[in-house]
Amino acid sequence: MKIQKFVLLVFLVGICLLLLTLQTRGYGSAAGDLFAIVTTPIQTGLAKASHATFGLWATYLDWKNVRAENRRLREEVQQLRVQALRVSDTDVENRRLRRLLTLQERLPLTTLSGEIIAREWGGWIRSLTVNRGRGDNIPRLSAVISPDGLVGRIVDVRPGASIVQVLTDPASTVGAHVLRTRTPGIVEGDPRGTLRFKFMARDGASIQSGDVLVTAGQGGLFPRGIPIGTVRVIDNRGAALFHYAELTPAVDFARIDEVLLVTGDTQRDVTAYFPKDG
Amino acid sequence: MRGLLVLTVAGGSVAHATLTPLVSVRGMTPDLPLIMVSLLALRRGSEFGCLAGFVTGLLQDAAGGGLIGVQGLTKAVIGFGIGVAGSRLRVSQPLVQVPGLVVLTIAEGLARFALLQIFRFPAPFGELMMYVVIPQALFNGFVGAAVVLSLAGVQALRARFEGEPS
Repeated sequence: MKIQKFVLLVFLVGICLLLLTLQTRGYGSAAGDLFAIVTTPIQTGLAKASHATFGLWATYLDWKNVRAENRRLREEVQQLRVQALRVSDTDVENRRLRRLLTLQERLPLTTLSGEIIAREWGGWIRSLTVNRGRGDNIPRLSAVISPDGLVGRIVDVRPGASIVQVLTDPASTVGAHVLRTRTPGIVEGDPRGTLRFKFMARDGASIQSGDVLVTAGQGGLFPRGIPIGTVRVIDNRGAALFHYAELTPAVDFARIDEVLLVTGDTQRDVTAYFPKDG
Repeated sequence: MRGLLVLTVAGGSVAHATLTPLVSVRGMTPDLPLIMVSLLALRRGSEFGCLAGFVTGLLQDAAGGGLIGVQGLTKAVIGFGIGVAGSRLRVSQPLVQVPGLVVLTIAEGLARFALLQIFRFPAPFGELMMYVVIPQALFNGFVGAAVVLSLAGVQALRARFEGEPS
């Protein structure tokens, strides 16, 4: 048995040596060709299989990377959007405050700036809450204005905050006149949230759509000349004593964030300090 | 079973040239057929080891494009030697097998170098040892350790399942 094993070893070693000798003497190509017939197809198949497998793997990795990159880019876009919104928001606020400050500096009135901290926007009451209260010595019925025009008046002063009755409140009335014709009348709020101008028919024949209304400044409550709104539609009631005109408010009450509270003398004409077109 | 063994030996040695570059580390590749021949010789004896080494080596030579017969000879001798050693010495422990694989790879490298010298294919000995044989020997040691441990794990699992009463 042992001898058999050694015979096998010697035989195989002999074959190898013979092959090597033949190759070194120039007869190697035939043996190489013979082996190539066996090995080449297997190698080709394996190479194809490995390429396919690794190609698939590479595709999977690419897909995974693309997914991860997609997620990352989405997050980045989201962050940039938030950032852009913040920037534009800050820019808008900056412009708004600058307008308010400019008005405050130019106006020949004693004013105090305030920030809107709450809004009551139901049909019954339309009011705003300003962060200025008893501690700021805000008198009741003070006029509240913005760079666009009249907002309303303070109806309640509390510690740290005040309630502003907005012009569109159904209980609000303000003495006003048409800037172009000097037609006097009263601006009232109505439950729909709009403004209307009540005037005597005989005085208001020449009122037109687009006319600007400003405060009359007669009751000593509001300074004269603060824009209230522009005439949108005239409601001609024929032979009635009073006619009405629907107004577009000069101030967008739903969007206003900062206001000026007129705390001092109100006996001044401030028409020149506001835009003429209402 | 025998068919599977033949397929493993023949296919594995041809696959070596195609697939091992994929697992190369800095251009260094393990000699998987040598590991396979060593483990088969330990389990199946010197005759099988010798034949497996011969076939594997020849196919490796043919697939790799070298002198056909160099690896056939060295691997046949190694397969035979390990088969004989396995029956006489205690070489079944992984702690022996892994350093054994390192030593075997170096021995095979030396034998190949000698054969190439004899058959007038001179190669620089120092560089060959430094950049090819020793790195490959170390790589073989690591891969061999992984294979030996995996086989031991599989065997333990098999024994556990077979030992469980049905």
